[in-house]
Amino acid sequence: MRSVLTALGIIIGVGAVIAMVGIGNGAKAQVEAQIASLGENVILIFSGSTTASGIRTGWGGAGTLKIEDAEAIRREVPGVIGVSEEVVSTTQVAAGNQNWFTRIFGESADYFDIRQWPLADGAPFTAQDVRSANKVCVIGRTTATQIYGNESPIGQILRIKNVPFTITGVLTPKGLSPQGVDQDDIVVMPYTSAMKRVIGGTTLRNMNVQMGDPGQIASAQQQIISLLRQRHNIRPGRDDDFTVRTQQEIAEAATATSRVMTVLLGAIAGVSLVVGGIGIMNIMLVSVTERTREIGVRMAVGAHGIDILTQFLIEAVTLSSVGGLIGIICGIGASRILSIYAHWPTLISISSIAIAFLFSAAVGVFFGFYPARKAAALDPIEALRYE
Amino acid sequence: MDINNGALVRLVDVHKVYKTGEMEVRAVCGVSLEIKRGEFVALMGASGSGKSTLMNILGCLDRPTSGSYFLDDADVSGLDRDQLADIRNRKIGFVFQNFNLLPRTSARENAELPLVYSTQHLSHAQLRERADRVLASVGLAGREDHHPSQLSGGQQQRVAIARALINEPEILLADEPTGNLDSRTSVEIMGIFQQLNESGITIIMVTHEQDIAAYAQRSVMMRDGVILEDHAVSKRTTAATQLQNGRARPNTTRPGEGAPEPASTLQ
Repeated sequence: MRSVLTALGIIIGVGAVIAMVGIGNGAKAQVEAQIASLGENVILIFSGSTTASGIRTGWGGAGTLKIEDAEAIRREVPGVIGVSEEVVSTTQVAAGNQNWFTRIFGESADYFDIRQWPLADGAPFTAQDVRSANKVCVIGRTTATQIYGNESPIGQILRIKNVPFTITGVLTPKGLSPQGVDQDDIVVMPYTSAMKRVIGGTTLRNMNVQMGDPGQIASAQQQIISLLRQRHNIRPGRDDDFTVRTQQEIAEAATATSRVMTVLLGAIAGVSLVVGGIGIMNIMLVSVTERTREIGVRMAVGAHGIDILTQFLIEAVTLSSVGGLIGIICGIGASRILSIYAHWPTLISISSIAIAFLFSAAVGVFFGFYPARKAAALDPIEALRYE
Repeated sequence: MDINNGALVRLVDVHKVYKTGEMEVRAVCGVSLEIKRGEFVALMGASGSGKSTLMNILGCLDRPTSGSYFLDDADVSGLDRDQLADIRNRKIGFVFQNFNLLPRTSARENAELPLVYSTQHLSHAQLRERADRVLASVGLAGREDHHPSQLSGGQQQRVAIARALINEPEILLADEPTGNLDSRTSVEIMGIFQQLNESGITIIMVTHEQDIAAYAQRSVMMRDGVILEDHAVSKRTTAATQLQNGRARPNTTRPGEGAPEPASTLQ
């Protein structure tokens, strides 16, 4: 009973470590998955961030990116394997007697490769469609379900701002974005068609540039900046009227938050482990005192100091390891419950289990050593006489 | 080289001084003593006479401040803690007044204890076999799995004797072995001691009771840290006769004390 109470400190400590790190890793993995869904080795260029008239507009705010800029990047920056010009709008779309408010993405044909977003059904629009500004589009799963129900939307006509578009494909579902936006509630069409027939205007909101080699990203970023400054006639010393971000920078910013959380939660859990260790030291000291006579007898029949030391160390480590094992089970259980009932993503890695277990054993050694050494240093005569 | 002239134990001018702050306590002041192999010696004296300190030195639990202690031809007075532990393990068996068995541990495991710390590494089965044999020799066959709390005082002391005997020691050191036992059980324990002694084991027994000392061959009386008298026991009591005649002292058997075990189970 007393051992159980003592081990409870370790159980809670290890359980907390496992659960907390599981939650932290889960959040991190989710964010990373979202960032990865932007595509691989992607550089994002947003128009805006200009101070031309003293007013700084946000990303995509000022229409400073031209189609020709994208062409120039394709032509002049080495290592670029794909560029997707992007315009975005929201509007009402209709087909038959159904209609739905959704987001319109104008993209190039490279978009599906860059975002690593394959089609579930049908075919994507082609570069030819983009050049000719054809009235074709690809829709997301949510949009498809809302308008066509269980029917296949392939080949159907979707009216967008009263322009009839032919649906050529349906995208595979991607789920919610980190901001909680349904990424499948979307219509993707050639950006030329979007600019001419739906949104109007001649400027891009942003560009997604994909590099073939991750090692070229940094140099490409610099080249893009100087190329665009030159094209936009920005004098040295003036701010860019666009913003270039690599996927890496976005990922780092996003994971930094969750990493801070993980470290914080882990630290709190670590404190409870230390408290648990102190509990073990306490109980071992009591145990050494209570068993002074036993220690005396063992020494009288020939036990060396090291035998006694080992015995008490093993007891302390057993106590903390068993506590650690139960804690691991509790921690896994707790994170399961959290992910089921609170819908928090949790990810329990083998390494976190191993580290937690080894740490609990180490706590046993660390906090068991002092009592064990005290036991080993007892004088056999005194110990035998102890009442 | 037999420097001990046939003596198993030889103390030469042994002193033991305890320092407590400014005070010096001279517990043993110049004791010289020889005990031959196969003797049964009773070490007597009032409390404070130094007999316990001498016993601790004889048992290699303590080192003399000055003087020499030869045990089985080897000088053990200068050995360190671990070396003394090995000597205790190999050559000395201890029997205590309060038995000092490990609680929540079976009689067999208690008896096995010295072998656990022995330099000879025995298998689990060998440990068990030796423990069962030595337990049977003190009349505890069939009680190997009992815990001390399930045994009477006499039985507990038998387990302690089994533990002392398991490593086949040269000397059995008994510190007031009957101090916690009633008279009848005391006689039984003395019976075991006498039989062990006849089979060749040297026994040194600390006691303050004259009639218990009468079971020994030789009586050494201490006072104020020196040996006062050292003589053979003239009218030796034999446990076997005592038990036959039923002449044990007025029966002070504790409630729950079982029927006496036959003491004559030794080979």
